[in-house]
Amino acid sequence: MTNRIGKFGLVVKFAISLIAVVLIQGILGYRLRVFEYFDLPLIITIYYGFTLGRPIPAVIIGTSVGIIQDALAGVPLGTNGFSKTLIGYLAATTGSKFDVDLPVARAIAIFLFTLGDGIIVNTLGLVTGTATVVNYTSITLHLLLSGLFNALLGLLMFGIHDRVTHASA
Amino acid sequence: MILLAVHTLLLSVQTNRRFDTSFVRVWLLESLGPIERVVDLGIDGIGGVWHGYFALIGEHRENLKLHQENDAMRLELATRQEDALELARLRKLMDMRPSIGGNTVVTRIISRSPASGSQTVTIDKGSRSGIVKDSTILTTEGVVGRTITVGNDYSIVQLILDSQSAVGFIVRSSRKLGILKGTGAGSELALEYIDDDNEIKQGDELLTSGQDQIYPKGLSLGFVVYVGPRQGNFKTVRIRPSVNFGKLEEVLCMTERVPEVSIGQAP
Repeated sequence: MTNRIGKFGLVVKFAISLIAVVLIQGILGYRLRVFEYFDLPLIITIYYGFTLGRPIPAVIIGTSVGIIQDALAGVPLGTNGFSKTLIGYLAATTGSKFDVDLPVARAIAIFLFTLGDGIIVNTLGLVTGTATVVNYTSITLHLLLSGLFNALLGLLMFGIHDRVTHASA
Repeated sequence: MILLAVHTLLLSVQTNRRFDTSFVRVWLLESLGPIERVVDLGIDGIGGVWHGYFALIGEHRENLKLHQENDAMRLELATRQEDALELARLRKLMDMRPSIGGNTVVTRIISRSPASGSQTVTIDKGSRSGIVKDSTILTTEGVVGRTITVGNDYSIVQLILDSQSAVGFIVRSSRKLGILKGTGAGSELALEYIDDDNEIKQGDELLTSGQDQIYPKGLSLGFVVYVGPRQGNFKTVRIRPSVNFGKLEEVLCMTERVPEVSIGQAP
């Protein structure tokens, strides 16, 4: 019984943190224009993928965060869901097979995952006919900047979390 | 694999319009909208106190006692100035209402799209205020976008910058028709399917044509800022939107569809 409550508590904690991340992304994106280059839900998906190291919880987190993003962004449901699910799985696989504790490895991984996420989302938009990429140059520039910014923010967030974890341990 | 298949299926049924997923959006919007509004108001309050008080503490440290009263007045003034600015913006919107015709409602933006690449914002009014799907959103400068998801008290607005957005336009001077699309990145718009781009020149203003059956005719969309050499069938044309999307706070929502509006110069 206690174990069940503990698991339920963990699920609630995850759900609240995922919703909070999507809301923070929306609110900061409105307040600070530079925040449109960041993707907090993506960083969280990668983070849990790396730290959990197990694909199933990572893809569930990716799916949940992606669906909430889709619903609040007004894009077809499943666009970011598909992308974040795949990223969650790849991050978990990468985390279990490679050493992602090094900051350089983390930064490169976040950069590449951001590019991958952007390519998947834009491709799905084109395939479903809901988006028309008019300017490939600006999309590419946006993705590269986004990758760079996400890598820097991810490093900062991972670093803070590592310190907190070590301190509490 | 199962989850990826579920997402693919979900996308597929939405593309074919066999299954309406708007209830999921509305449910999430209605559940999370109040949190966004509270946080938005909280940030406003903190911002006001910060700009009006804490940011000034360093300058007043030497004469803190003497300036305590002054600080309090500054805080009061800063708050009132912020209120005055908001009032001025609202007054501009209210002044604009009679020229639009039809019913309108003033709404406030509370957040942006949480997904990168998608150019949408959430507003704090919904069907209870008379907003319906495809209601036109505008400011005194021009068109902002249209509502794509409407909940009871919150709505999602697709900006004209979004890559899914397409607006029928007419060039004010030459009367040529075309379609203006969002690029999805940055704050530029792209011309598509223009009748004839030979006469288009820098400085031309583009207005809504009303032919898309969504936006009323005569609203300002943007200005031509660059006309480059022909690439393929069309010239390279860059359009700057009339609205400064970086400074959007309050917007006007048309709750009634009118065929034509005449703001400023007659189109």
